[in-house]
Amino acid sequence: MRGTYLGEFEELVLLAVAILAGQAYGAAITNEIEHQMQRSVNLGAVHAALARLEEKGLLTSRLGGATAERGGRSKRFFTVTMAGTQALDHIREIRNRMWIAIPKPA
Amino acid sequence: MKDQIQPPKWATKLLRWYCAPHLLNELEGDLHELFAQRLHAYGLHEACRRYVLDVFSLMRPFALKKQPEKYPKTAFYQIAMIRNYLKIAFRNLAKHKMFSLINIMGLSAGMTACFLIALYVHFELTYDAFNTKADRIYRVSTDVQTSSETLRYSISPWAMASNMKNEFPEIETYARVQKDEMLFRTGDLKFKEEDALLADSTLFQVFDFRLLKGDPRTALTAPFRIVLTETAARKYFGSTDPMGQTLLLGDKGEPAQVTGIMQDPPANSQIRGDIFVSMSTYTAHQDKNIEREWGSFGAIAYVLLKPGADPVALEKKFPAFLQNHAGKMMAEQQMQIHMLLEPLRNVYLHSTRPADESGNVNNVYVFAAVALFIMLIACINFVNLTTARSVERAREVGVRKAVGAGKSTLARQFLAESTLLCLLAFFISIILSAALIPIFNELAGKVVSAGIIYELPFVATLLAAALLIGLLSGIYPAFVLSSFEPVRVLKGRFTTSLKGIMLRKGLVTVQFTISITMIIATIVVYTQLDFMRGYDLGFSKDQTLVIQGGTDRERDAFEESIASLAGVKSATASSAVPGGWNPQAFSKIENKSGEMQAGNMDVYRVDYDFIPQYGLQVVAGRGFSKLFGTDSIQSLIINEAAARVLGYASPGEAVGKRFDQWGRQGTIIGVVKDFHFRSLQETIKPLTFRTLDFWNGKLLSVQIEGKNVKQTLSAIENRWKTIHPDQPFSYYFLDEFYDRQYRTDERFEALFVNFATLAIFISCLGLLGLASYSTVQRTKEIGVRKVMGASAVNIVALLSWDFLLLVGIAFAIAAPVAWFVMNRWLDGFAYKTSIHFWIFVAAALLAAFVALATISFQTIRAAMMNPVKSLRSE
Repeated sequence: MRGTYLGEFEELVLLAVAILAGQAYGAAITNEIEHQMQRSVNLGAVHAALARLEEKGLLTSRLGGATAERGGRSKRFFTVTMAGTQALDHIREIRNRMWIAIPKPA
Repeated sequence: MKDQIQPPKWATKLLRWYCAPHLLNELEGDLHELFAQRLHAYGLHEACRRYVLDVFSLMRPFALKKQPEKYPKTAFYQIAMIRNYLKIAFRNLAKHKMFSLINIMGLSAGMTACFLIALYVHFELTYDAFNTKADRIYRVSTDVQTSSETLRYSISPWAMASNMKNEFPEIETYARVQKDEMLFRTGDLKFKEEDALLADSTLFQVFDFRLLKGDPRTALTAPFRIVLTETAARKYFGSTDPMGQTLLLGDKGEPAQVTGIMQDPPANSQIRGDIFVSMSTYTAHQDKNIEREWGSFGAIAYVLLKPGADPVALEKKFPAFLQNHAGKMMAEQQMQIHMLLEPLRNVYLHSTRPADESGNVNNVYVFAAVALFIMLIACINFVNLTTARSVERAREVGVRKAVGAGKSTLARQFLAESTLLCLLAFFISIILSAALIPIFNELAGKVVSAGIIYELPFVATLLAAALLIGLLSGIYPAFVLSSFEPVRVLKGRFTTSLKGIMLRKGLVTVQFTISITMIIATIVVYTQLDFMRGYDLGFSKDQTLVIQGGTDRERDAFEESIASLAGVKSATASSAVPGGWNPQAFSKIENKSGEMQAGNMDVYRVDYDFIPQYGLQVVAGRGFSKLFGTDSIQSLIINEAAARVLGYASPGEAVGKRFDQWGRQGTIIGVVKDFHFRSLQETIKPLTFRTLDFWNGKLLSVQIEGKNVKQTLSAIENRWKTIHPDQPFSYYFLDEFYDRQYRTDERFEALFVNFATLAIFISCLGLLGLASYSTVQRTKEIGVRKVMGASAVNIVALLSWDFLLLVGIAFAIAAPVAWFVMNRWLDGFAYKTSIHFWIFVAAALLAAFVALATISFQTIRAAMMNPVKSLRSE
């Protein structure tokens, strides 16, 4: 499964992109993760993960709308690809299976 | 207001620097957005902190520059463009041959002058520097104070050095050196060596003289051991091995053994000689008591201090040391000796004490300044000619700019061009320097350089300097040329700005100021030397031959034998001749108040007929005469200066007064008029005459007729050979000998004349270039004037006036400067000419004439031109 293996942080980023549904770009993703995890995240880490995910074909991106807040600079929007969705499903399936396999205390 | 707060700029800059361009936009956007949000949520400090943190966190492989840029910028160096620049540069050189020639000639002449002067200055400044222990070597000099004057000696008492070494732990060792004229013989060869030295065995410990053969520790220990330089070894022994051979030393012909062969000392060593004889030959053999003498001065003593020893502290111990050893002697002779240490490296350039050869630190500075000025003139030429030519290149600049050349690209092109020109000049100047070094050596009177291949560090420096000059003098033209506006230039209506013209005129004025200053200086130096050569010295030096004639009966016999020769007028013996060295004697003479005044006085020991033959005037009393038997031991003659020192108002008062000098007591029998027995740089000192003892009076002055000098000379030489077959015949002409004192000044003059000529030559080159440029610029104006009826003379006058004005301004600046500087120079002479008004007039006329002659070629051509030609092109 090399190439589609997801690290923990990559998984978080992928999930954040999925949550933001089409409105995912660097700053928004960073905020989303910080909000969800209640801890601070480096923009560099997020972008590095995004770059890797895009390389693995789990994300695609397009350049789009600038806002005054950004000093007129454009955003790069990320969307989860089919492969990305599958990868998330796959992970979730494994996790579920493992959760079920935990013997219930009496 | 918070919206306008910006994140730390440096962090943004950092990001822009490392980040790949295709990512920059979005990353900066994200950073900005987050910054704005955090500013709201957490405040400025936290926002900034996170911003910086994020910038650093983005420094990851994905963000670094790796993707090639879509539209590459022009590279700093592009081979094709450089090739184009070079091509254009060479085409420009070839197209404007006159300008190129003037430019390169001026620059290479300047560089050559600079190079040669730099060699000279370096030579002078590194005197004695070859000694690795130079910073620990000191010369012990002495001041001897008597009641009448203070004598400043470079020599010291014979007993001093060995006692110093015994008493002062700071002193590692010492070496004494005494120059002496000695006779050497081997087989048929015999030479009177002027450059023979007595030296202590420690010579090789203190100084870095290299022994090629022999043991430096023992080479000069025992008496009658000698070390030859390579040159001397070749002279005496040719190709045979000189080690262990014998040379016969002195008049008595005592055998001495060669125990070492030394590499010739460097040209800039203050200790220089061909033959080094062990000091003990003298101190342990010829004069056994001399090492205990405190009152007898001789030999120059050098001490080598131990590392870390403090020379100042050592000097403070000298008075007590002297009092301890020589106190009694000093009290008896009514004199006071002071010792002082002079650092070896300072002796040549800074010490004013007597020396065979001494440099003048002021001359070194003068030459360094001259070199810089010449270089400045050459650079100014370069700037002037290049900017003047800029009009012609304006169109090129316009086209280049139109097709997209940036200002910096153009500046670079012109800088490269000027550097190229400088490099060409550099190569020419290296060839010139190589050819001129022998001539320069002759001019300077010493081997400043053995050849250009020994001066590679200097060549490298000159190359660096050439590149630097190219850049520096190219900056202004490059700046001017590259700032032309293409629209104006290409329309064809283009004239140089008033500012540019003013600048060029200013620079020409500077050039001429320097040149005129040098002309005035040269004339003043020349008149001073002429003044000294023509000065009435108070004695006759013409047609006088001085022969080293031996002493006593031997000499008398020879004197008698030549007296009958045709062409010989008269002959007289003495121990000293004017312009040469004479000893000083401790003398006591009765002064005006009747006391015996003590002091060291110059002594001439002369034969009876010396005073009349030399044309010295006896102003009171009488001269020596054989009729008075007492004259041989009880008579003294003094000069007017001595009479004045003794307090006598008129010379007549001194006659009949008592004296006590060097074992003779008696009375003063006469006073002679003052004459210059030393150079005119010094005032006339008190002098005493006494008759010869049998052991001195080696110099025989022979006055000969002006005709058939050669025949007379060879007749005298024949007589010498029959009487002294074993001794060389050595002689000199008194006038040449006397004028030898001015050799340094004459060299100074010769060098100055040459470099002043060069300076004005380069200035004229610049003027020529400028004149030809300005006439071209005014072609149309001249045409119109001619049509309106101006004559050729009017036009020439009009064009020349501009330049004459510049020369006039230059003169107004140069005259006072030159006057001030040359007055300072003249202060070095006790007898000096004044700076006459005509010198300034001559300099002004000369400068004006040269300037007019230079530009006349251009102005006359412009004035003669048919106006139809110049006006047709409208």
